[in-house]
Amino acid sequence: MMIRLYRTLAVLIVALLALGIASAEGDEESVPYVQASGFNAPVLEGWADLSTDEIAQFHLAEAEATIRTALAAGADPPAAARSHLADWLGSEIGEPAYSDKVNLADGTWHSLVFDIDAATTASVMARQDDANVVLISFVETSPDARTIMLTLAQADDALDNATPEIGLALDRMAGLELDQLDEAGIVDLPSGEWQVYERDGLSAMGMVFGNDSYVALQDGAPADLARLADAWNRTLLGFFITPDNSLYLALGLIATFGILGLLILSYFWRSRSIQRDLAMLNALAAEED
Amino acid sequence: MTLATEFEARPMPRLLRILTILTVLGFAGTLVLGLVAAGTDIQQGAVQRLFYIHMPSFFGAFTAFGLTLLGGIMALAHKNEKWDKIALAGVEVGLAFALINLLTGSIWARPIWNTWWTWDPRLTSAAVMCLTYAAYLMLRAGIEDADRRRNFMSVYGIFAFVTVLITLFIIRIVPETIHPVIVGASPQNAQGSFEATSGVVMALVPSLLLWLTVMPITLMWHRYRLEERLESLNRVKLKALSD
Repeated sequence: MMIRLYRTLAVLIVALLALGIASAEGDEESVPYVQASGFNAPVLEGWADLSTDEIAQFHLAEAEATIRTALAAGADPPAAARSHLADWLGSEIGEPAYSDKVNLADGTWHSLVFDIDAATTASVMARQDDANVVLISFVETSPDARTIMLTLAQADDALDNATPEIGLALDRMAGLELDQLDEAGIVDLPSGEWQVYERDGLSAMGMVFGNDSYVALQDGAPADLARLADAWNRTLLGFFITPDNSLYLALGLIATFGILGLLILSYFWRSRSIQRDLAMLNALAAEED
Repeated sequence: MTLATEFEARPMPRLLRILTILTVLGFAGTLVLGLVAAGTDIQQGAVQRLFYIHMPSFFGAFTAFGLTLLGGIMALAHKNEKWDKIALAGVEVGLAFALINLLTGSIWARPIWNTWWTWDPRLTSAAVMCLTYAAYLMLRAGIEDADRRRNFMSVYGIFAFVTVLITLFIIRIVPETIHPVIVGASPQNAQGSFEATSGVVMALVPSLLLWLTVMPITLMWHRYRLEERLESLNRVKLKALSD
């Protein structure tokens, strides 16, 4: 009877462990993230995934555009961006055509634009993270177009549209006023609602997230700017670094073992105390006898 | 016959020995599942693994305090000391589990919520639950008369279980909580939620079953035996004094 009960209990526990493992093996989750060393970047659907263990990189051939996320050693984000682009593209990288700082939820980022050659334009977001610099780069190599991605702090955070920042970006990067473009309405993309302005051969679009505006500009042969802007924005907002909090895990385990250990030790102490009292009573009884 | 023979005549039952081995092996096995086999949460990092102890330990406390409730009802109904000992064992084991739950939650909250503690309804009710059962032990130690102690602590143990139920259900009742819910949709303000993916289920289910059943019963049984021995010793002491 007893042996049957033990066996049932043992089989039950083994079966539960096996069931847990089997359920995990049969139903593996597909995480839409690239997990490179030290960071996570969202997978861009429809883009060619060229990621490695060190970088997350996606390429859209028809737009000749690449979005790359990487970590680089360094303490100066703009310098790290230039060095990284030089290594990647094999070109000399000059001073940025645009450079500013913007505060996002995960820290202060440098928003940089480099006109590398007649065909290549790179937009980079760079942020210091301990001893490394996080670099998220958008590089477009079409000789027929110049595509730029900018992140700007909202001039008026009460506004729910990026109109002022689109105007600012046009002024600084194309030398144009906003009223020189036609308002082309709102495009609803997975990343949000984007306001679009157009003129022959020039497109500008922007959206607001938090207290910042995300602006995309394209000059030259028309390409799918909405798709590029959406992918860039999702990479930027979806990027995150898995925190290293293993010390807190260790602390939690110490607390667990500590409390359980104290409980079990208290059983032993109390049991020994009973034994001691009993021995003393026995000794007293023997003395009386 | 010496006085000691009364104690030595009661070896550990085989079932308890088996349960003890199962508890140790099960605890080690579930730790391996939670710390090694289950994947790392990419948003929360390694500290999320505390969840495989945090949630099961609450349910272990639930079992132990539930047996205190049962012990209290039966002790009142049958005026039986055995049920009173079960109730006491339930409080000691349940309180240890509840403290593990509270501490692991607080340690998890530091990197995820950026605070060790917040007066959230779930956290507050869990703290009140711990204090209520800690008070049980203090009150019990202060009552000399055995019958009075049994009756009073039985009633206390029955009413104390209300704090367990409140802790269990409060996040379903009070929407202004940041404590995440794993089974079902989390409250709107929940922070630090994660999906019960297959990896989480793999580590959680065995741990939950171990803490819910085998662990509290084994520890309570040991504590019950200890109380029996203590009671026997007290009887022997009284006998020795009266002789």
